[in-house]
Order: sequence, then structure tokens, then C-alpha cells
Amino acid sequence: MRKGIFAVIPVLILLLAAPWGKLMAAASKPTSILSGPLAKLDIKPAQIETARGTSKGTLTVAMHFALDPGWLDPLEHSYAITQQMYDYLVHDTMIKPMPHGYVTYGLAEQAEFAADFRRAAFRLRPGLRFHDGQPLTTADVKWTYENFKGAYASLFHEKLDHIQIVDDRTIVFHFKEPFIDFMDLYNGGVSGIGWIIPKHYYEKVGRDGFKAQPIGAGPYKLVSQQAGVQMVFDAWEEYWRRSPGVKTIVVKGITDLTARMAGLQTGELDLAYGMTGKLLPRLMADRNLRWDPNFTGPWWLMFPGYNEPGSPFRDKRVRQAISLSINRQFLVKQETQGIGKPWGNWISPENRDALQGADAPVPEYNVEKAKQLMAQAGVPEGFEVEYLPFPPYFDMGERVLTDLRAIGIRGKLQSLEGPAFRAKIGQGRKGIPGNRTIVQNIDPRAGGAKANVAVYAVCGSPSSFVCEPQIEALWTKHQASLDAPERERLIKAIQRILIDEHYLVPLYWNPFVHAVGPRVRPEGEAFHRYWDTLNAPYPWPWEVWEVKADK
Amino acid sequence: MRKYILIRAVYSVVTLWLLVTIIFGLVRLTGDPVTMKAEAGADAAYIAQLRHNWGLDQPLYRQYTSYIGNLLLGDFGHSFGKSLPVKTIYLERLPNSLKLGFAAFVISLVLGIPLGMLSALRVNTWWDSVGKTIALLGLSMPGFFVGLVLIIVFGVQLHWLPVLGKGASAFIWSNPSTWVPFWFKDWSHLAMPAFALGWYFAGAMLRITRSGMLDVLDSDYIKLVRLKGVPEQVVIAKHALKNSMIPVLTLAGLNLLIMVNVAVVIEVIFNWPGVGQLLYDGLSNRDFPMVQGVVLMSGVMIVVLNFVIDVLYGYVDPRIRLSR
Repeated sequence: MRKGIFAVIPVLILLLAAPWGKLMAAASKPTSILSGPLAKLDIKPAQIETARGTSKGTLTVAMHFALDPGWLDPLEHSYAITQQMYDYLVHDTMIKPMPHGYVTYGLAEQAEFAADFRRAAFRLRPGLRFHDGQPLTTADVKWTYENFKGAYASLFHEKLDHIQIVDDRTIVFHFKEPFIDFMDLYNGGVSGIGWIIPKHYYEKVGRDGFKAQPIGAGPYKLVSQQAGVQMVFDAWEEYWRRSPGVKTIVVKGITDLTARMAGLQTGELDLAYGMTGKLLPRLMADRNLRWDPNFTGPWWLMFPGYNEPGSPFRDKRVRQAISLSINRQFLVKQETQGIGKPWGNWISPENRDALQGADAPVPEYNVEKAKQLMAQAGVPEGFEVEYLPFPPYFDMGERVLTDLRAIGIRGKLQSLEGPAFRAKIGQGRKGIPGNRTIVQNIDPRAGGAKANVAVYAVCGSPSSFVCEPQIEALWTKHQASLDAPERERLIKAIQRILIDEHYLVPLYWNPFVHAVGPRVRPEGEAFHRYWDTLNAPYPWPWEVWEVKADK
Repeated sequence: MRKYILIRAVYSVVTLWLLVTIIFGLVRLTGDPVTMKAEAGADAAYIAQLRHNWGLDQPLYRQYTSYIGNLLLGDFGHSFGKSLPVKTIYLERLPNSLKLGFAAFVISLVLGIPLGMLSALRVNTWWDSVGKTIALLGLSMPGFFVGLVLIIVFGVQLHWLPVLGKGASAFIWSNPSTWVPFWFKDWSHLAMPAFALGWYFAGAMLRITRSGMLDVLDSDYIKLVRLKGVPEQVVIAKHALKNSMIPVLTLAGLNLLIMVNVAVVIEVIFNWPGVGQLLYDGLSNRDFPMVQGVVLMSGVMIVVLNFVIDVLYGYVDPRIRLSR
């Protein structure tokens, strides 16, 4: 009898273990949302810290702009990357760039993209809530998409056929036609549509009310704000990924570089942006302060109307001579204390598919050769130009003009305020009259190299500065292609033409230096980890920041 | 007198209407604000959406009539650059500007008037030289330079005073319990910007007090009073000072308005959240509603002040009101 019992027990165990094992397997491998073949996605898992610490201390941050409450509302997300700093504070997105990957899971724990690029599906992680305690569901995801009015909104709306809510956690976007760029654009690092807004709250307080007192699902809650001046955020301890390290984040809009520097030195600021410039040597010499180079994008020169009759830049040899005449090494030393890197492409190497290294070597500095080319182009004496530098980098403009003078190009520098300059660039060729202007620009845009090409180097863009049949043909092919390797090859081929033909002349990879005070932890050089997120000109995510506790 | 006040009031309203109309037209000559907000690559639909949100898709006359109509209802419009109602933002900043302006005003009076009097009373002496030197420094050293020196010395080197912002105190219109404490808190934040702003005006005040005082002291009626054997202190305090103050007070009133409304440079370097910065940001970003709102409110202050002065003149001197 006893033997019989012993014989039955293993059998029972086996019988029970079989379905349990199936359950375990199902739990570890999420069930598929979409039927049919799927496109391959490279989305890194979220790094969730299960041990929840206590938030402490105050981090006071100085932005170099006046603050806009509109930045707190992702529904009207602008094209400006600045807004993402606030997205990462108050809100959270389905997928987003993080230090451990350019595309990582955020609110979504699973994403799928049909192989024909006509359907995309997401599954939200369980138990998500907004700051007011209300659950975050697929109804909010759908409402956010449908009510989004910001950058790329028309593209998202035109492509959408309908949104299917499978359940509170599962949602499927159905598109009218293949939308291969959807996952790129839906990424929180590129557009605002993936940052989820609480439908119930927005409908209750309205557009102005939301900007004045937004709530979201991000690691910080807005406590108070004075438009243009200051915003105060408090840690939201229930944030799903981890408890924020800092208890209070105060963001101040301080446009004056001297004031930011003084604030760091007196300890009134812990983190300040935009410290590149005349005060950089002082910053580097101060033992109490630390700085991160924060490489953003490369500087480049462009020639509006280069392909029009009468433009001296119509001749490739002139554009090449300009490139040859610039002493990039010296420029970097003067402008950035040697931190910047002379560069051979106008697109940030952090952007996917950007040519770099041996594919885009730093252009040589050879004034004699440049002079020969000018002579061959029929302008040995040079000519006069207008020079339009990106504000407030006027000193850099003067230095470039000094180099150009060596080959006879005499320039008059135009200094515009930032918004006025951006307005001109936004209008592309039309924004800059005449065809004897050299523009010095920078654009650390996320979304892959194709995003930069789409803005500056194709005929149909409102901000187009290059319009070439050869590039157009490649671009049309790229837009029609549903094959990722082919798209990469095409976008690289376009860059090859832009560089080889000197339509855009790269200068150097710019460090947009940020500085921190002594209260920022960790001490020593480990603080550079805050700038690990790719394609991020600001040090997000915010929940990982730590400071010494307030006295 | 009633008719006189009524006429002055009508003049004031017409002046304000002209100001509103002129500024409405002028800001629109600066260009299209939508292109400033739209970054490179912004598509036509996004630009059209912005234009619609800001009411710039309407014909100019509709924009104007709707602006005037809203103004009459107390609505100054929405800021393009700060996404909230202009009135909300302006009222948030105004107390800060008044605090800074009044503090700077007091500094300019406390420094300028006594030193100006001393210079005049001790003319061509060591005291006068000191006074003239201070006036010269005040007028020749711009506020931003004084401000930067103060920041380096008292903020960065000595760590005595904070260099940024106005401190934690806030004037909240909806909370009367904040109205009085606001003026008496965070003086350490106020000290440097108020001095840097008041310094320049102190120089001007010193000069005008000195010259006004010298003119009065040289006048026949002062000579007569002195001949009558009136003590010198009484001559100065009762007869000279009062008359020499007329141009000083006129200048002081204007100075106060300037200090409150256009202390842009000082506000920027000390990160003081005043209305001057609003105007500067508004102009830089073609934020039409913000520029219109700030200019209008400055205009209202000037017009109201002039109206009060006109009425007072008419009250004090009947010849003025009878001549109109």
C-alpha cells in the first residue's frame, strides 16, 4: 500500500507540472497580438528597478531659454527637441530612447509591427496609472493619437485607417497603406504622439488648464510654474520604472550665460545648459564644477540658391574650395577649447545610418589647393558674400570668414536673434533672398539620417536647401521601399552625394557643454552617465539623477 | 473742474486707443510669427494649425476688431511664446517689477537727492567734486556693468548675496495673505538688482537736484529771505528745497515708470522675473499678444499718471483749467 502511494506521487507531480510549465512558458513569452508575419523590431526591454529607494534633495536646472508652459503639453508637441526635456519629466511614452538603447520599452511592454507595415500593436504593462491615481489604458493611447496636433500630426492622421482597442492593455493601429516609418516616428525621441495624455483630465481642464497644471504618467509631477521663469517638479514615488532619485527638480529659464555661470559658482544652480562660449575656460578652470561635452550635431555650411544662374556656388570647385579653406582643427580649438571634433558629415554620428569614420573622413585643410580651384572656377580674386551664422555663434562666423578671406571670399556677417534665424531656416531656400549667402547651421535631429535628409536635402521639403535630380531619384526610391537594408543603402548614397559634391560642407561635431555643481552625485567622473541617451541634447531620463540631500 | 476732468479723461482714452492701434500695426510689420515657432521641416498642416490657433488665419481687420473687442472684455489674448493668457502672465510678473522698480526708485532718491543737495550747498568744494564724480559714474557706468561687478564681488567671491531670481516669496492675486509679506521678504535677492538699476537713476537725480538747487539758491527771493536774517537751515529746508524739487519730482515719476516697465537688462542678468523680460521675449519671438499687452499696460500707467498730474495741475493752478 505504502509503495503504491509512493508510486502515485511522482505521477501526480508530473501531471500537475505539465500545465504549470505551460503557464510559466506563456508568462515568460508574451502572446502575439497580431496575426501573420511580423517585421523585426529591435526594442530593448525597460530597465525596471524593483528596489524602490527614497527620493531626496533638490536639483536646480538652468535652461538657456525662457520657459514655455506649452512644452508641458505633448498634444501640441513642436518639432523642437527642447520639449522632450519636459516630456521625460511629466509624461511617459510607449517607446523611447534611454541610456541603454535608442528604442526601449516605456509604457508598452510589447510591440509588434506587421511585415506589410499596415498594422502596429502595443501591449501596455499592467497597473499603469497617472499622477492622479487614475488607470492609464488603451483608451488614453487612442485618444492621444486621435487628438494629437503637433509635429508630424498630418502624416499620422493621413496614414491611419482606424484604431482597434482589443482590451485595456492592448491596442492595434491599422493604417491605410504601409507606414514603414511608424515605429521610428512613434518613438518618443522623435515626435510627441507617443507621450500619453490622460483623456479624462484633459477633457476636464481643457487646453489652457492642462498647460497650466498638467498631469501625466512620468516620474515627476508639476508643483508650480511661473510662465517663462520657473517650473517646480516633485518626484512621483509610484513611477513604474523606479523611484526618482531627486525629490524636487526646479527648472529655471536663464537666457544669460553669465548669470548661469554665476549661479553655478554660487551654488544656486546644480546643472546649467549651453555653457559653450567665452566662459568655457572659466568653467573648465573651476575645481568645484564639472562639465560634460554633450556632443549634439555637427556644424555645417550651406549655400541657398547654389544651383541658380549667377550664383558663384553653382560651380562645385568653389564649394570645394570653401571646404578646403577652413582650418577645422583651429576652429575647434578656438571655439570649444579643443573639445569639439572636426567632422566629415553634417549628420550626427549618433543618428542611425549616418556616414562616419572612413566613410566620411574629415575634409582636408589646404589653402593652396583651394586657391587653385577658385582660379579654375574663374574667380581667382574671390567675391563678396553674406554670411549668416546660427545665433549666438557669431564669433565662430567671424573665424570662418577669416579663413574664407584667405581664398578671396569676403563676407559680411549678419547677426540675427535665434527665433528670426530659425524662421529663415524653416522656410528653406525661400527664407534667404539672393544666392550669395553662406549659412552656418546645426541640427541635432533625431529619427535617423533620413530625418536630416528629408528636411534639408530633398526638393519637396519646406526647408529644402538642396534640390538635385540625382538625390531626388534616390529619395523617391527610398520612400517607396519597404526593405530596410535597401533604405539604409539609399540614404547613405544620398549622403555620399551631398558630401562629395560639397552641397553641404561639414565643419565639426559640436559639444553643447553642460555643467554641474558640487551637489550632483555621483562625485568624480561617473556623472557623465547622465548624458548616455543617444541623440539627446539634454540629460534625460530624469528619474536617474541624484543629488546630495538638502540641508 | 468736472468738465476739465471729463475732457482729460476723453483725451486719455483716445491716447490709449491710438497706442493700441499703432502697436497692433507695428508688431505685424516685424514679420510672420508662425515661421519662428515652426522649426525646420515643419509641414504645411502644422503651420496652418499654428496660424489657426493664433487667429492669424483671419483677415487683418477681423484680427483688429476681435482684438479690440476682447480688450474691452479684459482679455489681452494668448501669448504665442508662453501658451497662456497674456493677462495671467503679466499679472504674475507685475508685482515683481513693482518691487524691483520701487526699491530702485528709493535707492535713486536716497542717493541722488541728498548728494545733489550737498553738492549744491558745498559748491566747488571737495563735497561737490565727490557728488559730481558719483553723478558721472552713475551716468557712465551702465546698469549691466554695475550688476556684473556686484555679482562677481558679492555673489561669486564673497557669497553674501544670491545672484539669481527674486527668491521664494510670491504675490498671489487670489491669496490676500501674500500681498503684504511679498514686499518685505527676500531682500537679499532684491539688493543687487535694485542697486544696479537705481544706480544709474541716482546719477541723473543727483545732477538735476544739484542744478535745481543751485538755480533756486541763486534766485532773488532766496537772497531776500537771507537778507531778512532767516536762519540758513530754514532758508534751505523751507524755501529752497521745495522749489528745487519740482523738476526732480517730475523726473522721478518718469524714472519710476521706466524702472518698473523696461528694466530689461537688469532683469536678464539677475534673472529677475519682471515685465521687462516679457517685452524682450515678446519682441524676439514676434509674440504679438505679449508685446501688445505689455506696451498697452505701460501706456495705461503713463496715461493714468499724466491724467492724475493734469488733474492736480488744474486743481492747484486754476489758470490751467480755465485756459482749456
